[in-house]
Amino acid sequence: MFAFNIILAFLGLVAAIVMAFVVMTKENTANTLRNEVSNLRRALDEMDEQAKLVVRTDIELNKAQEELDKKITGLYTLNRLSRSISSTLEESQVFKRIEPAHIEDLGFTKALAFLFSETERKFILRLTLGYIPEETERIKSFMETHREGLAKLLPAEKTLSSLAADEHAFVEAVREAFGVTFFVFAPVLPKEGSPGLFFVGTDKQDTAITEGDEELITIVANHIGQALENARLFEKTWQAHQNLEKRVEERTKELSRVLEEVKKISQRKNDFVSNVSHELRTPLTSIKGYASILLSGKLGVLPEDVYKRLEKINKHSDELVSFVNELLDISRIESGRVDLKLAPYDFKHIVEEVADLLAVQCREKQIELVTAVDQLPEVLADYSQIKRVLINLINNAIKYTTKGSITLRAARHDAEVRIEVQDTGCGIPEQALDKLFVEFYRVDSAVNQEVKGTGLGLALVKHIIEAHHGTIWVKSKVGEGSTFGFTLPVA
Amino acid sequence: MIDIAIGFSSENNSLLAAEEAVGQAKTRLKSRSKIDLGLVFHSFDLSAPTIAKTLSEHLEDIPLIGAAGAALMCDRGVYKHGLTVMLLGFPEGVYCSTAVARNIHEKNPFLGGKELAEHLLYGFKNIQRNFGFLLFDRLVEEATSFVSGLQEHLGRGFPCFGTSASSYADVSKASLYYNSEVLTDGCVGIRGGGKVSFGLGLQHGWRPIGKPHLVTSSVGNIVSAVDGKPALGLYEDYLGLSGSRLTRELRKLSASYPIGLLIPGEQEYLLRNVISVDERGALFCQGNIPEGATVRLMISTKETCLEAASRALAEAKENLANAMPKIAKVMPSRFAIVFSSFSRYNLLRRDIKEELSLIKKSLPGIPIIGLFTQGELAPLNAGAYHGQIYFHNQDFSVLIIEG
Repeated sequence: MFAFNIILAFLGLVAAIVMAFVVMTKENTANTLRNEVSNLRRALDEMDEQAKLVVRTDIELNKAQEELDKKITGLYTLNRLSRSISSTLEESQVFKRIEPAHIEDLGFTKALAFLFSETERKFILRLTLGYIPEETERIKSFMETHREGLAKLLPAEKTLSSLAADEHAFVEAVREAFGVTFFVFAPVLPKEGSPGLFFVGTDKQDTAITEGDEELITIVANHIGQALENARLFEKTWQAHQNLEKRVEERTKELSRVLEEVKKISQRKNDFVSNVSHELRTPLTSIKGYASILLSGKLGVLPEDVYKRLEKINKHSDELVSFVNELLDISRIESGRVDLKLAPYDFKHIVEEVADLLAVQCREKQIELVTAVDQLPEVLADYSQIKRVLINLINNAIKYTTKGSITLRAARHDAEVRIEVQDTGCGIPEQALDKLFVEFYRVDSAVNQEVKGTGLGLALVKHIIEAHHGTIWVKSKVGEGSTFGFTLPVA
Repeated sequence: MIDIAIGFSSENNSLLAAEEAVGQAKTRLKSRSKIDLGLVFHSFDLSAPTIAKTLSEHLEDIPLIGAAGAALMCDRGVYKHGLTVMLLGFPEGVYCSTAVARNIHEKNPFLGGKELAEHLLYGFKNIQRNFGFLLFDRLVEEATSFVSGLQEHLGRGFPCFGTSASSYADVSKASLYYNSEVLTDGCVGIRGGGKVSFGLGLQHGWRPIGKPHLVTSSVGNIVSAVDGKPALGLYEDYLGLSGSRLTRELRKLSASYPIGLLIPGEQEYLLRNVISVDERGALFCQGNIPEGATVRLMISTKETCLEAASRALAEAKENLANAMPKIAKVMPSRFAIVFSSFSRYNLLRRDIKEELSLIKKSLPGIPIIGLFTQGELAPLNAGAYHGQIYFHNQDFSVLIIEG
């Protein structure tokens, strides 16, 4: 029994030891697990803290990305808006080109534009987006109340936004009156005409504006100002153009009327010259006829003195007849009463004929007459009139040349023949060249005191050449000689 | 083969926009004189009454449903302003009915769902019911209850797909179209059946970050406490922003960092945006979060968003391929209706066009019509539908219809 008890006690002891061991082992395991759980919890907490860091970093990145996106979208919108408002040159259309989509893409929901009338000292509403009429009336009233304060933004070129910390009371007043949470007021400053204010705002609570928005809206306002300036300048230019056109039209009418008057006067002058010339020619013919009879001695021999005076009468009668004939010719050509007998002629042949005719006169004055005429095509001309032109020009050259030569050149230039008569005479003063072909004009010079002339020869020559659709010109230098040139069409 | 034609207009004038879009669609549908259904989506800035009047003049008695949204998409692009009209002509054997439930708030949403179901079933005896397509006009806190009412009548096996078409800026601003009527506080629906198949895909692309948290106090869509502390603390901790700033900005921030709700038995997290915060720090969410639920803060990148859209498209195509019955001896035609969350639009910003590029790449040549909305109604996992429909935020969902 004792032994049994001892065994039992031993077994109990063993069991207690085992139990103690098991308990210790379990305790160790529990401790390990507790440690692990604690570690896991700590790791989870640490990971949670890291998650917070990730989220906060993500917020910052999102914010930066949002700003960047906003700027890019803003720039795209600015580009579209600028193109749209620049494509009109009507001031009234500039504001109509600003659409809700533009404002929305700029990150706002409402927009207004005002122009400031200096004369009325008030802001005039020109654009309303995102407001109903009742709200617009409230805003107009606000603009009237704060007119002077807002007008100060214009010369200061100052943008005012809900970011302005130093304007707290005004910012709050704008918020209330305009029904927005965030806003920007930017000055519109065209160089011409009324300035204005551009307003954008949003009623969203979570769309805070930044300085970047403020800058962007200022740029938009500048573009609006530029578009207004362009439109106003265009309007001004267009108006000036219209006035100019009107004045040109009035002047043209006036000139036409004057031209008609001149034509009538010219016609009357031609008629007068023609009539007077005819009337003069008849008695002149009689005078010349009687003088010729007396000079012929058919009515008896005249005393020497009488004969000499009759000769003068006869000579001056010839000059007067020539003068009257030239006057008549000019009158006929001017009034179109002369029908040119145009036909193809060999110009070289005309030159040779005239050279023969005037060779004697040249020899008498010891002047060499040179003809330098190329092989020419036929010209379309009235033979007698062109011959008259050449004679007139060469005669003039002979008159004003005391020594040297007279050269007659002719050459083809495209569809015309160019003829020049060059002399080595006294030349013509430069100031006289423009008036040389005017009727009755004679150069006021010592030479002309001695050389007689009517002042009609060159005028007649010009009329004849122009009647042939040619042109005439003169080049001259005093002391070096003159060159008269003209053209004739190739046949 | 279903005849499909889409018209689009970016006109500012609502009347001209409606005339241009419906004119284009009608011209393109000239091969078939019969038009069986019209769908219209447009941006909020256009006038819904003018559009409804203009479209009803052009379409006369043709059933029309539609909604306004924050932005829209079609084959031509993604637009913040515009109007798109899809006209459909169904072949023999393809059926659809349209219905409306009005004044849902005044009624019990469950009864509203039953009412809509009754209207949808009208004239559909002995015809196979394939899918339902629903357009709500607000943030649908009562969506679950409404869908329960709908499914009680149509059967739980009946899949529904839809969206909430309210405005991000103003939740009271909404427009739904039912024939020539424009309504709010309602739901319009289409039920498709007969020889028509569909494939649905939806994904969001958000991933959980940080440790799980327990919702310790919530009623419906109002979460008062998380881990025994005011719910706003969740965002204060993770975002490192003050309560006052969060009160102002949380609606926008939660589009990037929504709350993820792990649903027992589901693989995917259900997302919830925060609409507002009250002075006690309670979060008002866009959809219900039950008390006792485990929630996580969610995060995404543009890449994960776009990857999700690709996965949703692949899922929709796979589901369509698996759809029964296989139909038609002739080559059927397909079209796609896309609902993408406006939060995604804000997150992707200028890259939003890439989402459309993915759709066009995945569904080449298929007519597309879509709306950017405030929440989507669909099963949590489109490939494993087991009768439960959820209200989602932040999702990209696509319904491909073939017939």
